[in-house]
Amino acid sequence: MRFTTLIARNLLRRGVRTALTVVGLAIGIAAVVALLGIAWGFERSFLAINEAKGIDLIVVRAGVSDKLTSNLDEALGDRLRQVKGVRNLAGSLMDVVSFEEANLVSVLINGWEPGSLLFRGIKVLEGRTLAEGDGRSALLGRVLALNLRKKVGDSIDVAGERFRVVGIFESASLFENGGLIVPLKELQRMMGREGDLTGFAIVAEARDHASVEALGRRIEAEIPGVAAVPARDYVERDIRIRLAKSMAWATSLVALVVGAVGVLNTMMMSVFERTGEIGVLRALGWRRRRVLALILGEALALGGAGAVLGSALGFAGVRMLARSPTASGFVAGKIPPAALGVGLVMAVVLSLLGGLYPALRGATLAPTEALRHE
Amino acid sequence: MSDAGPLLKAEGLTRIYPDGAVRALRGVSLAVAAGESVAVTGPSGCGKSTLLHLLGGLDRPTSGEVYFEGVPLGALDLDAFRARRIGFVFQSFHLLPTLSALENVQVPMFEGPWPRGERVARAVRLLDEVALAHRRDHIPSRLSVGERQRVAIARALANEPALLLADEPTGNLDSVAQAEVLELLGRLRRERSLTLVLVTHSPEVAAAADRVIKIRDGRIVDG
Repeated sequence: MRFTTLIARNLLRRGVRTALTVVGLAIGIAAVVALLGIAWGFERSFLAINEAKGIDLIVVRAGVSDKLTSNLDEALGDRLRQVKGVRNLAGSLMDVVSFEEANLVSVLINGWEPGSLLFRGIKVLEGRTLAEGDGRSALLGRVLALNLRKKVGDSIDVAGERFRVVGIFESASLFENGGLIVPLKELQRMMGREGDLTGFAIVAEARDHASVEALGRRIEAEIPGVAAVPARDYVERDIRIRLAKSMAWATSLVALVVGAVGVLNTMMMSVFERTGEIGVLRALGWRRRRVLALILGEALALGGAGAVLGSALGFAGVRMLARSPTASGFVAGKIPPAALGVGLVMAVVLSLLGGLYPALRGATLAPTEALRHE
Repeated sequence: MSDAGPLLKAEGLTRIYPDGAVRALRGVSLAVAAGESVAVTGPSGCGKSTLLHLLGGLDRPTSGEVYFEGVPLGALDLDAFRARRIGFVFQSFHLLPTLSALENVQVPMFEGPWPRGERVARAVRLLDEVALAHRRDHIPSRLSVGERQRVAIARALANEPALLLADEPTGNLDSVAQAEVLELLGRLRRERSLTLVLVTHSPEVAAAADRVIKIRDGRIVDG
């Protein structure tokens, strides 16, 4: 007989209780895995935008917490081009619109100049890209086209104005896939922001992190009132990313506490019920540390089962969410391995936390006292 | 240890429980030679089980000392002592309910020197010795009370102990099963040169021992 056989038999002895504990734990782990997966996917998707386009720096108005509220004069582009170390740049205006008939809110709309470097990483699947002289023309992301059931040649209503779909594209970023691109001038006119931009994307001459940071500092020194942030730092500082990550961690913390209390309760009951048995094991010569290992082993097995079931539930939940029209533009149907890793580590840690006190209590029982419980 | 010395010796054992109200033993001294069988008898609550627990290193005396092969138990690793030198048999068998007879016999072997493969083979041999090889895969609830006690005896022998301590080993058995268990204990003792100390209420069981020690109110009154 293996030691693990003993652990398994003890858990299966109260099958329903064990199953309920595992389910309780699994729900917590599922929440952790899914929320972290979504938050990290969110961040990765943002990063993918800049990586695919080779953007090194983002220039926005200094002091704004949300990129969408930033506004800079279009004319700043010429001054930025003069800064030593700037190789290329592109201005963009970004906003959000809704398509209520499709139950889509906060769809990202980008105003880009035709031929802009921002089109890098954009793969046109159908139709064509934006061209000089295009008026109310729109390029739809693949997911948005799917949600709106639009194809090339159809017309769509954007913030009360009729646009013609000239192309459908795919991007490495979910955000872009769930949004649309229109000519910069059209978006500026529609939003009453002629001459305004949200910010500039900059490609540097020297692309290592130190040089990019130095370029950022140079831009900020030469052009007061702007913030020039390396693309990766910019994404990490983004208010939505930070909010999503904070929510994910806060929920994880709650799940941690609830899960640990569940394991604690189960293991306490289990140890209490088996006090006499523990006395027998001690009488037979079992050392305290073997009793400790038995009880902690049972708690760990609960944690392991909770982690497996929780990961499966979290994965299924994210898959379902990714299929819903409102979320599919933002939620990838997959979970990064790191999120699964956090779920597993959390399950192990909280099962050990929940099992530790009962295990210590069991292991420190005086054999004669424990035997009296039979 | 000298060859002539007793296997087990107790000197002036007292046991007062922490609240101070119960003086379970009041200066008990005894010696048990290797290979001897000793029955401890007396009315309920006289301190028989307490004495057995002190002799087996399950509990420590308030004063006095127990010596095993001349070495005071206070100087020993009591877990290892219980695991390797002592076999316990209880009135209520105390088998683990979810384990088969074969698995129950292996439980003490986790603290023994046996690799896993050998544990199984040893458990099979021990069950064969108690004539239960054919019931090896049954869990305790599928065994008769007599069979359960035989499994418990096989378990007590798992690590080749020198001393078997039995607390009312026939207390829960009918007369047929009692006779079987007594016969088994006698045979095992002879074949394995075991020393046996058992606590009993039963005159028949006591009569089968080499020597009887009577206890009353925590003191030896005879033997």
